[in-house]
Amino acid sequence: MDTGIVKKDRDFEERTKLLFDESVAALNGETRSKLTQARYRALKEMKGQQVVGWNRRWIPAGVAAVIAVLSLMLWQGQVEPANDGGFDMATVIDLEILLTEVDLDMFQELEFYAWLDEQAELTSGQILEDGIG
Amino acid sequence: MLYGALLMVRVTTFQTQTCLSKDGGGQELRTNIEGFLCEIEARAFQIAVVNTRDADEALDIVQDAMISLTCGYADRSEDEWRPLFYRILKNRIRDWQRRSIVRGRVMSFFGGQEGEDYDPIAQAPGAISGNPFEVLARADAMRALGQALGELPRRQREAFVLRNFEGLDVAETAAAMGCSDGSVKTHYSRAIRRLREKIGDYI
Repeated sequence: MDTGIVKKDRDFEERTKLLFDESVAALNGETRSKLTQARYRALKEMKGQQVVGWNRRWIPAGVAAVIAVLSLMLWQGQVEPANDGGFDMATVIDLEILLTEVDLDMFQELEFYAWLDEQAELTSGQILEDGIG
Repeated sequence: MLYGALLMVRVTTFQTQTCLSKDGGGQELRTNIEGFLCEIEARAFQIAVVNTRDADEALDIVQDAMISLTCGYADRSEDEWRPLFYRILKNRIRDWQRRSIVRGRVMSFFGGQEGEDYDPIAQAPGAISGNPFEVLARADAMRALGQALGELPRRQREAFVLRNFEGLDVAETAAAMGCSDGSVKTHYSRAIRRLREKIGDYI
C-alpha cells in the first residue's frame, strides 16, 4: 500500500481522535450533572435487582424450612390433622346426608327427633324402674 | 401455625436484605461499576450525540445502556464491561435510528415536520474555555465529522466510533460489534479512507 496514503490516514485518525476528546472535555456542567444522575439511576436499578435476586435464591430454602417446621409440629402432635386419610370427615357426613334416600325434612327437625329419642329413653327407664320397684 | 411459618419466611427475607446491605462483595461491585460508568459516560454521551444529533435522546440512550449493563451484566468480569456496554449502546442507537426513520415517515405522511420544536437556545453549547474562534471552529469540525459519519455505511460508522472515539482495540471492537477481527479492520480502514476523502481538508 502507498505509504503516503497510510500516513495521511494516520494523521487524519489522530486529528479526529483529538477532536472527539476535545468535544468530550468541553461538555458543560448541566450535561455532566444529567449524566451523573443517569449513572445513579442505573446503580439504583442494579441494587434493587440484586436484592430481588438474592431473595429468589433463598426461596427454595425458605419453602424447605416451612415444610420442615410444619412436619415437626405435626409429628409432635401440636397440630391436629384436619382430616383423616385424605378425607375431611365433616364433608363426608354432609355428602352422606345429601345422598341418602331419607327425606331431608327429617334432618331439618333433627333436634326434635333427638328430644323424642331422649324422652323415649326416659320413659322406658321409668317403666323399668317402676317394674323393678 | 401457618401464620407462624409465614412470619418466619418474612424474617428470613428481612435478614437477607440486611445482610446484603452489609455485604462487602456487593459494595465492591457497586464501587467498581460506578467507577467504570463514570469513566465512560461522557464519551458514550458524545458518541450518542454524534449518532443522534440530539442531546436529550443521547442522554436517554446512555441511561438505558447503563441500566442494561448494571441490571444484566454486572456479574460479568470487569474486562467484559467495556465491549458489552458499547454493544448495548450501539444497539440502542440503532433502535433509535430505526424508530426515527419510522417517525419521520409518519410525520411526513401527516404533513408535519420532524424537529419543528427545535430550540436553538436549549441546544446551544455550554461555557467552554478557550479562544471563542477556536471553540467555534472545533464545534464546526465536530459537526462536519458527525455529518460525514452519518453518511457512512452502518458497520463502517460503528467500527470508526468504537476504534477511534472510544479507543477500543480490535478484539474489543469485534466483541462489541459481534463480528470478526478481520471485519473490524476492513470496516475501520474503509471508514477512515472515506471520511478523509470527504472532510480531510476541513478537519
